[in-house]
Amino acid sequence: MSQLADLQLQLADLEQSIGMLLDTPPYAMAPGQRNDSLLALFKRELEYASECSPQFSNYVRHWPVSFAAADKIADLPYLPVSVFKANPPLSLVPASEIKRTLTSSSTSGQVPSRVVLDAATSRRLTKGVIAIIRDFVGAARRPYLVIDTQENLGRQSELGARGAAIQALGLFATEIVSCLHPDSQGEPGLDLEKLLACAAKWKEAEVLVYGFTYVIWTQLVQPLKRKGLALGMPNVHVLHSGGWKRLEQQAVTKDVFVRDVASVFSCSADRVIDYYGMVENVGVVYPDCARGYKHVPAFADVIVRDPLTLAPVQAGQQGLVQVCSVLPTSFPGFLLLTDDMGEIIGYDGCGCGRRGTHFRFLRRVPKVEVRGCGNLETTRQRRGSGA
Amino acid sequence: MSELIQRIASADEITFAAQRLRKTALEKDLTPRAVLDVFEQWAAALDGRGVREIPGVAFLRLWLRRGTLEPILLRELGPESLQSGWRDDGRARLRAFPLGVVGHWPAGNIEIQPILSLTCALLGGNSCVVRVPSGLIESTRRVMETLQEADRSGELTSRIFLASFDHSRADLQEAMAKSVDGAMIWGGEDAVSRVRALPFPHWARVLVFGPRLSVAAMDAGVWGERSERAAWCRRVARDVWQFEQQACSSPQTLFLEHGAGCDAAEFVEDLKAAFQEENRAHPRLEIEPALTSAICQARAAWLLDDVANRACFPQSTDWTILQGKGTDIPEPTQGRTLSVLVAADLLQAISQFDGTVQTLGLAVKDARREEILAEAAGRHGVDRVVRLGQMHVFGSPWDGTDLVRPLVREVRHARSQD
Repeated sequence: MSQLADLQLQLADLEQSIGMLLDTPPYAMAPGQRNDSLLALFKRELEYASECSPQFSNYVRHWPVSFAAADKIADLPYLPVSVFKANPPLSLVPASEIKRTLTSSSTSGQVPSRVVLDAATSRRLTKGVIAIIRDFVGAARRPYLVIDTQENLGRQSELGARGAAIQALGLFATEIVSCLHPDSQGEPGLDLEKLLACAAKWKEAEVLVYGFTYVIWTQLVQPLKRKGLALGMPNVHVLHSGGWKRLEQQAVTKDVFVRDVASVFSCSADRVIDYYGMVENVGVVYPDCARGYKHVPAFADVIVRDPLTLAPVQAGQQGLVQVCSVLPTSFPGFLLLTDDMGEIIGYDGCGCGRRGTHFRFLRRVPKVEVRGCGNLETTRQRRGSGA
Repeated sequence: MSELIQRIASADEITFAAQRLRKTALEKDLTPRAVLDVFEQWAAALDGRGVREIPGVAFLRLWLRRGTLEPILLRELGPESLQSGWRDDGRARLRAFPLGVVGHWPAGNIEIQPILSLTCALLGGNSCVVRVPSGLIESTRRVMETLQEADRSGELTSRIFLASFDHSRADLQEAMAKSVDGAMIWGGEDAVSRVRALPFPHWARVLVFGPRLSVAAMDAGVWGERSERAAWCRRVARDVWQFEQQACSSPQTLFLEHGAGCDAAEFVEDLKAAFQEENRAHPRLEIEPALTSAICQARAAWLLDDVANRACFPQSTDWTILQGKGTDIPEPTQGRTLSVLVAADLLQAISQFDGTVQTLGLAVKDARREEILAEAAGRHGVDRVVRLGQMHVFGSPWDGTDLVRPLVREVRHARSQD
């Protein structure tokens, strides 16, 4: 059998196994059952990726423990998330099969991460997001209000994190309305007339709202508060993501944010849901449950590692978060060590009723402080040379 | 020094302290011989529990010995320098006087750097104001307690003011700069640039020891020799482990010159054993998560970048060996991450150095060949060429600069009546 045919068979086999996990209710599996099925599937994915990519194979071959012999997910070779800043992006498929490239929302001066999606991976990622969000807001389709500009709604071959998040939730929509528009300088501003028209039209209907946390605060909440307006939409679910750094700089706490968002929509605070997602782990999002924790769905896992030993820590201890997902096959994003610190709360039994691992993110790891007579980082960056 | 390290709140505290120190430095002689006498006793006091464990203190004990410092003084200041006093210079006479007060801005990554820096100024008879970085307060306090024990008369301690304040306090940084007659500035580019831009008096002599990296190199005659290889690997490991590989003298890359029949994989096996042994002796007890990320990134990027690249590392962050080929120095990672590159010709690798390389640690079989390599290194910006295993041995000159001579003024007296 040719190598190509062999790879296609492996992929079909993987597709079937991933599909079964995607069809399982995301938060219903017992931890032991989930670990067994994930470990076997991750091993097959690593084998498949190694055959697709000599570079990835080189990495896996040098891992201190043979993945074939590993008896737990934590022993499998993981990549640091920063490898997706490479250009060209890491890929397991030929360029002709890439349908879309997702880019992260990097802050100024930083190189964004990029992941490539083929059709099959793209489909799975969408199914993953739907399965998770459905569990939090229900399955019904409903009007979808996007706190962003129209340009992030369209299909593009290279899509930023904002656009990707907006479009993933579009599958819940009966109609989509964006309520920001560019002003004369091209800066986004609130289209108040349009927003008030939507509020009047949808009133007490179930409505899905999504926006980046910072955008919701600056472009929606603050302008409405200044005008003393409330939208009278008690049955919205407001999903937001994108981190708190810029709001923290303005001394806006999570409690204040939730209170004020709920106030402008006239909804209860539990309808404002923060979720964590990253482009490199696309297809898996982590909304806060009613207890304030993030839950791992059936097709994913989260490990928290001691920064010194890189061994998994016990529940209650803090460490670097590793995210794991069986969904991608077009890029090696199965097992990724993030630059975020987190804490496992428990491996089952959250008070919200969802089963499995629940955890919380704590903070982004700060960049290494530039210090010391041996630190040439800034010199070299300015020269633009790797020497 | 009632409080060994003063927490500074206002600029006046620094200004007043500097005025007092200047008076002491300029009114009362402090001969190099007297300094060396106290340093000898200080070296002995550094052997106590709680002090000797501080990284670099073992070296500091050697540094403070008369046998180390006398040759430096003789070379930098001349044969009569130990007594102080005037010396004849033809029909005139010469004498070294201290600058007055020397300000020290040590880097935050080397525990003993505040101490090393101030010893240079004391040898010139100066007083010292030292800004102790926040991460080094405890280690500096413990080392300075031993100086208090050794210096009963207070001859040296009366000339030292240790200050602690946030590096972002521009008013305090400026007050310190305005108060000094000389400065020793150590650290990374940003830190050095910030301090250098402070309003020093126009007469102040400012010595800057900015960011550098260091490289090791072995010729095939050494690394291909199995019987000697393990010993050389232990020396490499020692150089990598010191100061968490954050010092400017820390090797980031080891070049192995290609040799017929020499197997780099075999060498890496020996180096791995040496790293494991060094790690058992000196395990890392904590790490910044950002460094963990950088180490993981270095491992992955190296192996993903080129399928011919090899690497060797444990599951933890303890150490990393990245093996490949070439003459370019890869981006340094620090955190005990060493790139081992097979190069066709060491001379070619050294000829590509661009002035960022401070120290070249060498292990070369043939002495004539070593002279050629040292010559090339000097021409390409290297300031120190030393034996592998001794890359961190602090000495004069450092970064191509004398350590004591720039901190004294040579005063010439031509007699009016002859």
